[in-house]
Amino acid sequence: MAIRPYWKGYLKLSLVTCPVQMMPATSESEKVRFHTLNRETQNRVVSRYVDSVTGKPVNEDDEVKGYQRGEGDYIILEDDEIENVALESTRTIDISTFAPRDSIDWIWLETPYYLAPNDPVGEEAFSVIRDAMRAKDMVGIARLVISRRERPVMLEPRDKGIVLWTLRYGDEVREEDSYFEAIGDGKADETILPLVQQLIRKQTAHWTPKMVEDPVQERLLEVIAAKKKQLKKLTPTKAKARATPSAPNNVVNIMDALKRSVAAERRAKK
Amino acid sequence: MVATRANWKGFLNFGEVSCPVALYTAASSSERIAFNTLNRETGNRVRREFVDVETGRPVGRGDQVKGYEIDDGRYVVLETDEIAAAVPESDKTLAIDAFVPCSEIDDVYFDKPYYLAPDRMGRDAFILLRDGMRKEGVAAIARTVLFRKLRTVLLRAHGKGLIATTLNFDYEVRSSKQAFEEVSDLKIEGEMLELAEHIIGTKRGSFDAKAFDDRYEAAVAELVKAKLEGRSLPKKKAPPVSKQSDLLQALRESAGLAVGTPARRAGNTNAGRERAKLAKPTPSKAKSAAAPTRRAS
Repeated sequence: MAIRPYWKGYLKLSLVTCPVQMMPATSESEKVRFHTLNRETQNRVVSRYVDSVTGKPVNEDDEVKGYQRGEGDYIILEDDEIENVALESTRTIDISTFAPRDSIDWIWLETPYYLAPNDPVGEEAFSVIRDAMRAKDMVGIARLVISRRERPVMLEPRDKGIVLWTLRYGDEVREEDSYFEAIGDGKADETILPLVQQLIRKQTAHWTPKMVEDPVQERLLEVIAAKKKQLKKLTPTKAKARATPSAPNNVVNIMDALKRSVAAERRAKK
Repeated sequence: MVATRANWKGFLNFGEVSCPVALYTAASSSERIAFNTLNRETGNRVRREFVDVETGRPVGRGDQVKGYEIDDGRYVVLETDEIAAAVPESDKTLAIDAFVPCSEIDDVYFDKPYYLAPDRMGRDAFILLRDGMRKEGVAAIARTVLFRKLRTVLLRAHGKGLIATTLNFDYEVRSSKQAFEEVSDLKIEGEMLELAEHIIGTKRGSFDAKAFDDRYEAAVAELVKAKLEGRSLPKKKAPPVSKQSDLLQALRESAGLAVGTPARRAGNTNAGRERAKLAKPTPSKAKSAAAPTRRAS
């Protein structure tokens, strides 16, 4: 995996243990990203920590976590101390239970991660757990501490890896009755329902990621491209001179490529 | 019961049918333990400050604008209203573009769930759509402007109502194929697979979110207490990893542990108090009676 793992630890089934790594299944990296600039100087704006009493900047090495005991009273906790908290589930995903996938309603799914072996030595053990779940058509349930919560997690085989979903707590999902009770127990009118089903069938399509394309992102890229053209006409540049101004410009190439892709998508759609 | 306020009100359209509906947050995040960032030198809290990277001077909110980097160090400036203009005008309508068989839906795209319920006037149309989708085994894909953002939403029947789940965009979801690219293509068969399947069979149960307790906060409180008393908690050792050479043995022993007499199983359950709380294994004789050599069906 080229991407730095978000979490490293162990996957365990009874006496079988293998080293694993995990990364979020979602990412912001392909999104049109804006930086914050200072309008006056056009320079980047960055955030830094300052001491709330002295107002002086704090070095990154001096930033430390504090656990509040009382008003203005903190206990300092170093990262390695926090990691050492007495819970196995900070480091080991110990599968306690297996359940049919459809017994866990979608509403419990919180955040998806991709779980993969982290060391060739554990690949076979990982594959055994994955393939047995797949053969039995079951998902595994375990506990995992992730961003300061110990959550139930669900493990589901996918391709050569496993998707790990953090699941919501019982009190995080609101009682549906208070929202749905006014609907009553009425059933659909039997004489009209076949028509609705017919309409549905006509409009039924196979799932494709095309259904989740983002026209807004495409539009933003167009706005940016138009502004860039203007920028070129107006000023040679007020930007910092680079050492190698003639070096191939990746950003611009990507932009052109993106625009071409967008145009191609459009044509394909028509 | 808390009075429930709608997060969004509008219309749900399918074909020529339109029904007034409202969206309600279905899930919220409960609070997690809070740490504060301190300055180790002084023990004071720190606060965040936004400064110009060149001049080092603080930049007020009003002077902060968005810039898109087009070149190293060169930016196109976009004002908030220019960015907002890229989002289409809200027409307060969830228009169904397509229906998709539920079995084909890729859940990795799921973002947040909302309950979708009709206004009194829309009840009949709503029930028709709900029951029609249920009978056909499909969910609906719709687009709308939600909270000033254009979102794709998946609608599906849930009890008496519908659940509307916002979906992440294609570019926000990593390809699982790529993520697992480097995993070796091992096909597990024979005794190993049978043993692992047997172990799964003995651990069969169900997930009960209501029974789950977060032990993290208590563990941190314990850590703080230990620190105050000048103790340090024992360092965690890495668990022994099952090497390829002894994987079969580990599986055999695991399967042996799980092999069947009810007394043995009870002993196991005691060993993991938390397991009993998290998920109640169904005490199914049929499952535990399966021999370790059972073939995959």
